[in-house]
Amino acid sequence: MLEMQGISKIYRTDLIETHALRDFSLKVGDGEFVAVTGPSGSGKTTFMNVAGLLETFETGGYRLDGDDVSRLSDEQRSRLRNEKIGFIFQSFNLIPDLDIFDNVDVPLRYRGLGRQDREKRIKSALEVVGLSSRMRHMPSQLSGGQQQRAAIARALAGDPRFLLADEPTGNVDSLMARQVMDLLEQINEMGTTIIMVTHDPELARRAHRNIHIVDGQISDFKPYEPHEELPIQAATAAAMSPA
Amino acid sequence: MAAWNLRPIASALWRNRTGAMLVAFQIAIGLAVLVNAVYVVKQRVDKIGRPTGMDTANMIWVASAGFAKSFDYEASWREDLATLRAMPDVKAASLMSNIPLSGGGSSSGYQAKPGQVAPNDTVPGNTYNVDEQAVEALGIKLASGRNFQASEILPPVDTFDSSPQAIVTKAFAKDLFPNDPNPVGKSFYDGLSKPITIVGLIEHMHGAWSGWDKLDHVVLFPRLKSGPTGVYLVRTEPGRRDAVIREIEAKLGASNPGRVLRWVRPFDYFINQSYLDDRNMAIFLVSVTSALLAITALGIFGLATFNVSTRIRQIGTRRAVGARRMDIVRHFLVENWMVTTAGVVAGCGAALGIGYWISVKYELPRLDLYYLVGGIAVIWLIGLAAALQPARRAAAISPAVASRTV
Amino acid sequence: MFGYYLELALRNLKRNPGLTALMIGAVALGIAVCVMTLTMYRAMSGNPIWWKNDVLYAVTMDFWDPERAYFDDKQSLPPEQLTYRDAVAVYRSDIPARKVIMHKAVGILSIDGVDVKPERYTTRVTTKDFFAMFDVPFQYGGTWTDAADWGPEPVMVISRKVNERLFGGENSVGKRVRWDDNEFRIIGVRDNWLPLPAFYDVNNGPLEESEDVYIPFGWNAALELASAGNMNGWKPEDLKTYQDILGSENTWVQMWVELPDAAARDRFQAFIDNYAIDQKKGGRYLRPLNNRLTRPDQWLVDNDVVSNDNRVLVGLAFAFLAVCLLNTVGLLLAKFLNGASITGVRRALGASRKQVFYQHLVEVGVISSIGAALGLVLGGLLLMGLRALYTTDVNDAGGTQALAHVDLTSVVTALALAFFATLAAGLYPAWRIGRIPPASYLKAQ
Repeated sequence: MLEMQGISKIYRTDLIETHALRDFSLKVGDGEFVAVTGPSGSGKTTFMNVAGLLETFETGGYRLDGDDVSRLSDEQRSRLRNEKIGFIFQSFNLIPDLDIFDNVDVPLRYRGLGRQDREKRIKSALEVVGLSSRMRHMPSQLSGGQQQRAAIARALAGDPRFLLADEPTGNVDSLMARQVMDLLEQINEMGTTIIMVTHDPELARRAHRNIHIVDGQISDFKPYEPHEELPIQAATAAAMSPA
Repeated sequence: MAAWNLRPIASALWRNRTGAMLVAFQIAIGLAVLVNAVYVVKQRVDKIGRPTGMDTANMIWVASAGFAKSFDYEASWREDLATLRAMPDVKAASLMSNIPLSGGGSSSGYQAKPGQVAPNDTVPGNTYNVDEQAVEALGIKLASGRNFQASEILPPVDTFDSSPQAIVTKAFAKDLFPNDPNPVGKSFYDGLSKPITIVGLIEHMHGAWSGWDKLDHVVLFPRLKSGPTGVYLVRTEPGRRDAVIREIEAKLGASNPGRVLRWVRPFDYFINQSYLDDRNMAIFLVSVTSALLAITALGIFGLATFNVSTRIRQIGTRRAVGARRMDIVRHFLVENWMVTTAGVVAGCGAALGIGYWISVKYELPRLDLYYLVGGIAVIWLIGLAAALQPARRAAAISPAVASRTV
Repeated sequence: MFGYYLELALRNLKRNPGLTALMIGAVALGIAVCVMTLTMYRAMSGNPIWWKNDVLYAVTMDFWDPERAYFDDKQSLPPEQLTYRDAVAVYRSDIPARKVIMHKAVGILSIDGVDVKPERYTTRVTTKDFFAMFDVPFQYGGTWTDAADWGPEPVMVISRKVNERLFGGENSVGKRVRWDDNEFRIIGVRDNWLPLPAFYDVNNGPLEESEDVYIPFGWNAALELASAGNMNGWKPEDLKTYQDILGSENTWVQMWVELPDAAARDRFQAFIDNYAIDQKKGGRYLRPLNNRLTRPDQWLVDNDVVSNDNRVLVGLAFAFLAVCLLNTVGLLLAKFLNGASITGVRRALGASRKQVFYQHLVEVGVISSIGAALGLVLGGLLLMGLRALYTTDVNDAGGTQALAHVDLTSVVTALALAFFATLAAGLYPAWRIGRIPPASYLKAQ
């Protein structure tokens, strides 16, 4: 579903050139749950920005769903972000003066969907994350864990191809963290691909696959070891086998 | 001076120059407007404040108009003047052909010699037909010579005839006879070469048109004006003017059914009318300029506040590494002063340019550099005052801010 | 999407009411001062007969002193008024479609037997075409005939204001009044008419009310009336009788003609030129031939009706507006940049630069609209204050009526100016916020 080939991202100032990503390649299949780990400054954030089409890159290629998204205009990238990617941030980034309903609504507005369609999607997304009763509350009235779940609902509402989560449990306490991870796993089981950036090896272990970045390059590669084949994997494998 | 950090402040400012440029432009406009507004207002105030030579605070004008066909205006005037002169608190009352400083009147050209003269040699004079109490009623001072006597006052005529005698202002006489400091007894001539002898010399008096450059050229002729309308001039004892006005309205109002007492007005009414444009211009300029400077001050305040609010962490860090509160205040005041000065420099050219244009268009004396220096000082003060509170708020930021992670 | 942007804008503005009030206030104040000055400027210098600007002409001829021009500062222009003899002579031409010669006088109006105090009114002594030529409306009746001009017949047109005072506003055609104790019959009542400036008579000040009484031209000779305007002469003349004045070189009569096309204009120009040449033979018109037909807009310029004062004020008003708008731009920039993190989130969630730009432009638009509307109201209040400055006598509200006349075009122009100027000022901040790279404000570093 997502394929990066030889990506390099360079930050230039007047005096210094920083190679945040060097010759970075990655393939993520449908329905995978991938964790991207690495020490601070390793390029995890850059990877996320590039994968999320938030930033452009110098060399290499990036294919999303078979389409080359390397050299798109800002307009096109914005549309792709809106339609194919669901963001989850470490600091939730909910808009403080909108209620939960309106917060989940934000990406749907930019899609130009009608009112009934949007309402349906919002309600079902909030149900998935278990926040239907808090629809009209303001973010400040929710706990950290609840806010993150709201953010996940926002990411889900538009039916994205994959979720891109940046330290999703970084700002919540350990009890909530487990709830958030449970939720992510549940969503993944329902078939959504998830790419999660984290520095916590405990969390990384809950993913199917780990990718370790050091100095802008992949240093480790823990191959995918299926504990048991998930229905979606089987279906995908079946669909892709030459027959 | 190194502690003032001028260069780093300047380069930091340059890197985020949009906000600063917006404020600098406002300051430039503010300076240009301030300098020129003060300049124009001063000219106007000077113009309004010129001495008139008359006792204007105690002078009343009364307008009488006869309308019956057979109206005997001469008799009416004699009767009215007698009534007026008999009133207590009235120093003098006179019949006049026009009102000085009212914007309306007659003028003619006169010459020092009879016969044909070059146009440049005619001296214009604002003329009035008056009686023997006029000098007293006007409150003017005679530098030399004497007043008209009652016997010298000529009867009215319907056309423009000058008289064989006149009392003139010094300024008028000087234009006619530049080499004679005291031309009493000398004669000048009207356009038909009729001689007019100068009987008295007025120290100074203003004529009809406040915008005229020969405002102090006045010629008084001893002749009753022709009817049926006339205007009486009444001079009262100091402070009694308003009381006398009421008395006049009562006494003259009903006395003669063949005529209408149109109005009784203090001299100030006409003078204010005369200078209305000047006064209003001054008021308008002062108001708009003040408002403009207030808004500019607001802009400076806003910029300073914004700069502080986006640099909270940086300020905390500075304090953590040893800056005192005074250093922080100084930092922001210096930064603000740079923006203000940039605006001042940009505005200087505009201020001087506009000042030059105004002096040419309005024929005013050139813009004194003092105005510019004063303007710059005011702008600097405003800038300082506006940035003071944000600077102090910055200084109050705790050094602990530096170590916070959120 | 517009509805969504509007909703967001209103929410954003409510979040910081102080800042919002400040921005709207700055815009409103700038617009108010601008509107006030522009109205004053327009009231004092617009062309109040613009629809007839191409057919009306002021007639001036140069019979002045051969040694010296009439105007010191505009030496090429002839005197603004004509002598009596020239005006009457030229009036005889039948080339113009309409023609008028006239001057101002003052007289006391009274009615026999009615307990109304006699009052002095500015009177226009004019030939009959005055009303049709300047599109002067009538409430009752109409103008007089040519025979009435030269008889002269004792007929009169009064203004609506006088009619209300003397007759309670009813149709007074046929009633009799006394003007300076001479009996006249009313044949018409002129409706309210206030061309600004009162261009047709240079003796009028820019804010002066029009005259209240009109009588036929021939009455000046019949009653030996003095002109209430300026009278100028270059030649020393021995003037003993009224007849002398009528035949003198003194100027005190104004003349306007209506020439429907270029051919008529050329013919009339030739007519007055021939008249001047003819007069030269008689020892008059000693200056080089300089007879002019001037249209109203040029007439206003030639006679300095646009006061110098006002022009400077317009510059000042726009400077003020500029400062206000610059201020607003700064405030908008600060406000938008302060919300950069939220904008970053929206960008990450898929808002394109254009969508962010439009969203903020709508916010600017809300401020523009409220600021513009408020500015107009404030401008109206300021104008009322200005009127107070010009009214020196409770009874003398004459010229200030002019300042109260804000016509529809001015209001619409002002509104449009306010709205679009502010919108333009907001373009830069809205554009700037759109340029924020989506990633930069997302992570709390």
